[in-house]
Amino acid sequence: MSEERKVPKRGISTYCFYPQLGVNMDLEDIFMHMQDMGATGLEILADGIIPGYPYPSEEWLNKWFGLIKKYDIVPVEYGHWVESRLYPGQREASLEESLEQLIRDIKLAHYLGFTCMRTKLGVISETLDPVSNWREIIHEALPYAEAFNVVMQPEIHAPTKLTDRMVNDYVEFIEKENTKYFGFNIDFGVFQNKPVPEMARFFREDRVSKPEDIIPLLPYVHCCHAKYYNMSADFEETTIPYREVIQIMIEHGWDGYLLSEYEGPHKEDINHCIEQVRRHHVFMKKILGQ
Amino acid sequence: MMEIEALQYKGFRNLKDENGDICGFQVGIRFVAYRGPWLSQFRFAYVKVDDVEYGPDVCTFFVNGVEYTYAEMLKPENWRVKVQMQAPIYIHVKKEGGLAMGCHRVSVKFSEIASYIPERMDDINSEMFEMMHGNDPAYNRDMIIV
Repeated sequence: MSEERKVPKRGISTYCFYPQLGVNMDLEDIFMHMQDMGATGLEILADGIIPGYPYPSEEWLNKWFGLIKKYDIVPVEYGHWVESRLYPGQREASLEESLEQLIRDIKLAHYLGFTCMRTKLGVISETLDPVSNWREIIHEALPYAEAFNVVMQPEIHAPTKLTDRMVNDYVEFIEKENTKYFGFNIDFGVFQNKPVPEMARFFREDRVSKPEDIIPLLPYVHCCHAKYYNMSADFEETTIPYREVIQIMIEHGWDGYLLSEYEGPHKEDINHCIEQVRRHHVFMKKILGQ
Repeated sequence: MMEIEALQYKGFRNLKDENGDICGFQVGIRFVAYRGPWLSQFRFAYVKVDDVEYGPDVCTFFVNGVEYTYAEMLKPENWRVKVQMQAPIYIHVKKEGGLAMGCHRVSVKFSEIASYIPERMDDINSEMFEMMHGNDPAYNRDMIIV
């Protein structure tokens, strides 16, 4: 019997629609779109999605589990932050303040059914180097991540490059701890090699990663932000070399989730966002041979 | 439901004191964002009406139904209080006689500390806010007092 071909799976981040939530869209609307597209892997941004965060009501929890079941949603990644500049004058939160945030989110992510977290640490440089005590924070949180079976993942996001020292530091940490509970979410924006016309001022030509730079990191990557800025009418992302990156993933048998994350212009226009996300999934289905 | 803008039209009205005299006005705001900050990470510069700026000294803030002065919001212990995304923050501005009936140009300048971006962007008075929202219709609206 031949082995089943491993390919990435499709999903979306609620980030695609954040300006619309609570305005003309709610979580169930997003789930309906996901079901329409056959893209049932979900990332939430916990702080904004969970009313009463970090203490959701029983009523909301019942609603959550009901909707997950109704729309066959797979809770993939729980987006959260470990804030380090918590109040005026503070530059780096204490270990205790950091762990209080992180452990609470590990437990809540697990309770809601998630298996990964996008763990956003505070930064101390222009190239987004994490706080100086990040090793201590993650080391102390690892037993909790293991007990609650969720993988903590910093997001590697432009202007960081995949070859930066910071990424290598994370790899060394994972190997030293010999853990499966710390890894990466690679944001596809790191591969962006053309500017978006309306957003050209944000493009950094000197900070572009090459598709093959992802290869040594793939064993530690559980899901990715499939960032897109501009989907053309013929269903192509015009600024990021998707085909090369996904081809590499397929060749290496990577079958985690690609979570659509729209960061292009006109996010205030709901119809634009819906059209862009649907174009993005037509595009990904084509590349994935679906 | 909320309005998509940062400045919420709903709730824009004059306020009366216990004697029934108009003592100020109210305006609602929301973070057009994927999260609200912890309360001690909220930053506010002013509400501006027809070119008059009303700063933190004449404003109080209703967050999750609780009234705070700006100094109270920024106390270190408030890092455990979350600004929820499901309801606006209502700003009460002290102004004897309130705003005149009719149309006003209303602007607001507020932001949050986000530890995942470089620290230089923490300063609400840096050029970043002007670049992002200086002419943003979400932060600058023509609004009518009835």
